[in-house]
Amino acid sequence: MSFATGIVARQCRRSALGLPRAISSSAKASLAQPVPPEQPPSPQAKPPLIKEFKIYRWNPDEPEKKPSLQSYKVDLNQCGPMILDALIKIKNEMDPTLTFRRSCREGICGSCAMNIDGQNTLACLCRIDRAETKDTKIYPLPHMYVVKDLVPDLTLFFKQYKSVEPYLKNDNPPEKGEFLQTQEDRKKLDGLYECILCACCSTSCPSYWWNQDVYLGPAALLHSYRWIADSRDSYAAQRKEKLQNTFSLYRCHTILNCSRTCPKGLEPGTAIAKIKLEMAAE
Amino acid sequence: MISATARRALLAQNRQLLRSQFTPIVGGRARWAATSSSGTPPESVYVPGGPVYKGSVNDPTPFPTPSKAHGSHHWAFERLLAAGLVPLTGVAFVTSGSHYPVLDGVLALSLIVHSHIGFDSVVVDYLDTRKKPVIGQVAKWGLRAATTAALVGVYQFNTNDIGLTELIAKVWTA
Repeated sequence: MSFATGIVARQCRRSALGLPRAISSSAKASLAQPVPPEQPPSPQAKPPLIKEFKIYRWNPDEPEKKPSLQSYKVDLNQCGPMILDALIKIKNEMDPTLTFRRSCREGICGSCAMNIDGQNTLACLCRIDRAETKDTKIYPLPHMYVVKDLVPDLTLFFKQYKSVEPYLKNDNPPEKGEFLQTQEDRKKLDGLYECILCACCSTSCPSYWWNQDVYLGPAALLHSYRWIADSRDSYAAQRKEKLQNTFSLYRCHTILNCSRTCPKGLEPGTAIAKIKLEMAAE
Repeated sequence: MISATARRALLAQNRQLLRSQFTPIVGGRARWAATSSSGTPPESVYVPGGPVYKGSVNDPTPFPTPSKAHGSHHWAFERLLAAGLVPLTGVAFVTSGSHYPVLDGVLALSLIVHSHIGFDSVVVDYLDTRKKPVIGQVAKWGLRAATTAALVGVYQFNTNDIGLTELIAKVWTA
């Protein structure tokens, strides 16, 4: 069994190294081998593929310096396939001051939302364009206050999310057990519950750019509809009543940048249209 | 325009203020009471060029008073009117304005109201009074005046002259 050999191998090495205490690790012994020194490139190795990344830089500690694009050249053959891989490589190897948010690297946390080549998307889900002649420009999410480099201030975004009361509200919970729901009712939530609040949609919406202090934006409205559409929630009427004003909902002019940009393939525009239809039909 | 150094000083001041508010220290309440007379947490301090938040960062954004006239009724009216303009325009092609003056009048009125709602949307989007107190008012009342003038003009033209449909037909073939 490989498990046993792993433990045996580790025991041997520990005694050989003379460590003061046992190191507990589930990693295989083979993984703990030191990295061999860099070999000179063999004739079979891929030639370097140098790609230029131009990244928005702004440092709040130097407010008199204007924001600028800084250029980094990365060998794509020594880099992972996604934009986030390139950003991490730049931060690790070239410039540790480059600041960006990232966490899961697989499109489920929504941290690494940024504007890549003019499109709001998640850096971890966006492949690097391997055309050597074209540079890739990376900006923070548009029309947001910038905290530093690629980090936007999402305070208002999450205040708005909070304002739609994104939780189940029902005064008459079932006597025993959980809320039951038909399969049809459950299907209504598909395309809504998957939203990870990366803010790509809201920050791509011109209406949100001009009126974000009063307009909720596609992400918050999608979440609003997620609870309006939920058969287990009994506050749909009150939720819709709150949107009865000029700004919160009706600054949506069906531009549909939200649905086009969503890195999760959701359609906030459709959700907003459904809220409008339900409210008009009341 | 505020100078960069002044802005930096304000930022530093703001940071210090935030720290004093949110550090859970003994007597923190007393400090609040000292900085604001009401004893409630003071509103976020405005930094020139920075975001304006209502309430603290943990408060949800507030909603205005609900009003269906500004909400769903307004939207439904706007959409029905826009949809209604399609058959009205079609009818104007096959009838003559001078024989059906009421239809001609309804078309003219619908067009004006439709334009008014459209321009009003532009004014609310870009020149709302909460952001542009003077230009916003000028735009709002300017639009109302223009719409009123257009209504009066169309009424005069449709009652005393050939009417809108006939005019467009004449200009088209001129």
